[in-house]
This record gives sequence, structure tokens and C-alpha cells, in this order.
Amino acid sequence: MVEIDCKGLACPGPVLKAKEVVESQKPPSIRVIVDNPAAKENVSRFLGTQGYDICVETKEGSFCVIGTKKGEDIQETLIQERPRGATRKILVFITSRTLGHGDEKLGSALMLNFLKTLKELPNLWRIILLNEGVKLASDEGEAVGVLRDLEQSGVSILVCGTCLSYYNLIEQKKVGETTNMLDVVTSLGVADSVINIT
Amino acid sequence: MELPTDPNLLVGLEKADDAGVYLIHEELAIIQTVDFFTPIVDDPFYFGQIAAANALSDIYAMGGVPKTAMNLVAFPINQMDISILKEILRGGIEKLKEAGAVLVGGHSIEDRELKYGLAVTGFVHPKRLLTKRNLQPEDLLILTKPLGTGIVTTAVKAQLADERLVRQVQESMAELNKKAAEVMAAFDIHACTDITGFGLLGHLGEMVEGSGKSVELWAGAIPVFDGIEPMASMGLIPQGAYRNRDFRKEMVVFEGSVPLWLQDVMFDPQTSGGLLIAVAKDQAQALLSKLIQGGITYSRLIGKVLEDPSQRIYVKTKQ
Repeated sequence: MVEIDCKGLACPGPVLKAKEVVESQKPPSIRVIVDNPAAKENVSRFLGTQGYDICVETKEGSFCVIGTKKGEDIQETLIQERPRGATRKILVFITSRTLGHGDEKLGSALMLNFLKTLKELPNLWRIILLNEGVKLASDEGEAVGVLRDLEQSGVSILVCGTCLSYYNLIEQKKVGETTNMLDVVTSLGVADSVINIT
Repeated sequence: MELPTDPNLLVGLEKADDAGVYLIHEELAIIQTVDFFTPIVDDPFYFGQIAAANALSDIYAMGGVPKTAMNLVAFPINQMDISILKEILRGGIEKLKEAGAVLVGGHSIEDRELKYGLAVTGFVHPKRLLTKRNLQPEDLLILTKPLGTGIVTTAVKAQLADERLVRQVQESMAELNKKAAEVMAAFDIHACTDITGFGLLGHLGEMVEGSGKSVELWAGAIPVFDGIEPMASMGLIPQGAYRNRDFRKEMVVFEGSVPLWLQDVMFDPQTSGGLLIAVAKDQAQALLSKLIQGGITYSRLIGKVLEDPSQRIYVKTKQ
């Protein structure tokens, strides 16, 4: 068992020391000795995320956090990020509830058909719903089901949190992950091409 | 300790509010507050801005307008270049200008560790004074800035913070609560505070105690900086968060499904955090819309006040 003495270290010191050892030696079990409750909690959290079972022993004035590795396969899945390789990333950026401007009923029907047909688009990576577009993820209509199918097939769906909040739809959102402007801007930059639906 | 008394002292030390309030005459009270700390970001100009925004915030949280300010400086003049101090002060003055307050003086000492902050005085009409003590049943709670500044600061120390996130957090900390305060002035606000060192649950705890009510929070609705989850999960949590948690452990009841990292974020000590506003139920959505229209886009409805006098905070996953 690997043992590290982190007595006298303030946060985030103990986590950093444990991280160094875990990453370089990948020990099956590890003991980290700390002398303050915050470090005890933080080291426990860290080892927990690294696939260790945690147990803490308390001795006068110090704590010993003991981590024992769970099944190795858990670690593997943690390391494997979704492999995307060199495939192109297409982003569809939707800021309206309808497709095109004109008759609203026609626009809604066209939008639904557009979403349904999106599965035919190779390399579709992400859909971002902004402004009135967020209503597609929260309406009673069919769009929610179509978006869910896309999400299931691996397309990431981001829904603007500020917009949901503004339209009072936070509780009604049925699909996708709530996001913020930083994510939106980053996605626009990362995508190889952006299809803009206004 | 026995404190001197004065009938014109509207809010004093014993009431654990954001700042002290003293009545001048029927139509005017002054709000006084002081705040200073060691650097939390590397850039001195940013640090100056953040320290000033943080000091001014208490005035806004009490419904007032900042008028005058004084610098407090501790500076290691023998080890540090004076240009650093100049940048800090420049940052502070920039925020005072934005707030419409004037710098009337200050005091500096030599110290081994750099510290900066301000003492600020603001005006408020006594009838418009907002305290922490007036939560009403059914009020809805709005938070105007995302949480997580303490965790990100800890991640910076560990050199594990994403540069974009650090910038976003710095900007948020440097942002005055002025606009939010101006927007809320047109609404029926029952209580208000700003989120700082005790974290969301610590400061909400003071409101709950001061008002003799309970609160239900919706964890999933609480605005949090993007990218906090992995940092919190891996234990980059400042010591203060655990102190805040231990202090409030009797009061806060978490539903089992609220993830641990989010519980930690709710106790994370904030620097220059947002306003936590208790607004009459029928005006909440309108206030939220106005805040977002005003550019305070992280504003969210995060919970509601309960009649329950047991003074608890029940944290559920969602509404």
C-alpha cells in the first residue's frame, strides 16, 4: 500500500499530492494522512472520483483516508472519453420555434419536419436551442419526442438556461441539457460548420 | 459584550445583517459597511475591482445607493513594487465611478501580506430599507449570480482551472450588484442579502433565522458556473465551505438525490456574489424577466418561502 503524509498541508495541497501519486503509480490501495477535516473530505472526494472505495480512520488530531480500488473496469470507462476522432462536427443553431417567416402553422410544421429529417444529416454533432427555440424542448408538441430520439442516437442537445428562465419554462424542459452562453460560444467555435436557423 | 445603544440605530451588530444602518431623519438613513481581504486573483487591477464590488455590494443588498468610500490598504512596501498597489487602487476607483460613489480618503499600513478593501457609506430612505428579516410565506427567491467562486479560486491554486472559466468568474466577481438593485427597486421586495463568505446556504440561513420561517430550495435551478462539477467532485473545495456546512448542519435538510458536489457548491464561500432576493410570488416572474433583460442573465428562481416556523432549509432536486 502506498502511503502519503500530507500533514501540515492546506487545501488544495493534499488533493494535489494524492493526484500526483495516483496518476503516476496507479496504486491498488493508498493511505493519505491529513491533519484537518477539510483535507479529509477533499481527499475522500478525490479518491472517490478515481474509483477507490473510501474508509477514514481518525486518530488524535489526524485522519487517515484509505482508498481501495474497486474493479479495474470502472477506471477504464472513466478514462475513455467518447471517441470522436477526426469526424467533422456539424452544429445546428436554432433560435426560433418555426422554420422560416410567414404563416405560423406552416412554420411549425416545417420545423417539426426539419427536426425529423435531421437524423439523415451525417456528422450531426450538436443542436443548440436559443431564444424561442427553447420552446421546442418544452412544448407539448411532437418536437420533444424527435429531439429525444436524436439525443438517444448520440447528438448533444443544449438548451439556453437564461431563455428557459425568461420564458418561465425551466420546469417544463423535457429534453436536452441546460446550458449557458460560454458553452454556446465555445460550441460555435469548435464546430466545423454551423447551420443557423433563425 | 454590552454594546452602546441609540434609538436611531436601525440595524446594528446584534442583528447580523449586511451592514449597519443609522437613521439621520425621517427620510434618510445611512448604511455603513467595511470589507477587505487578501488577493484572490493574480491581476492587481482585477483584484481592485473585485474588492470594491464586494465592499459596495452590502449597500445594494440593503436597498441603498453608495455615496462615499474610503480605501483600506495593507501593503508589503519592501517586497512589492508600488506599481502593483497603484493598479489595485485604479481598479477600486473604476468601480466606485461606476457606482457613482466618491473616494473621500483612506488609510494604509505596511504589512507582510497584501490586503485591500473599502469602507463604504450609502443612503437609503428608511421605508425602502431591505433587511434579511422579512421573508414572507410564499415569497419566491431569486439569485442573480452563479455560484462557485471559492471552488474556482481553489482550483486556480492547484493550477487545475480552465482559463476561460477563470476569466468568467473574475468578470462575475467584478460585476457590481448595482443593476440588479436598480431593477428590483420597482418591485415588492420583502428581504434581500448578498452572497459572500457564508455561501448560499449560510446567508439564506441568516434570512431564515431572522424571519422565523423555512425555505424550500430547488437545487437543479441554482445557477452554477459551467465546469464546476468536476472540480468540486475531485475535492477542490475551500476549507470555508466545510465550516459553513458544519455551522448549518442542523438547519439544512438535503433530499437524498441532491448530488454531493452540488451540496458543496451551495456552501462554497463566495467573493462578491449575487443578490438573493425574496419577492412577492405574483411579481417574481416579472422581476426575473426584467433582470435578464437588464443583462443579469444568470438570474434564476431558486426556491420559495414556507410558513413552517421551524427555521429549516429543505433542499429538493426540483420544484
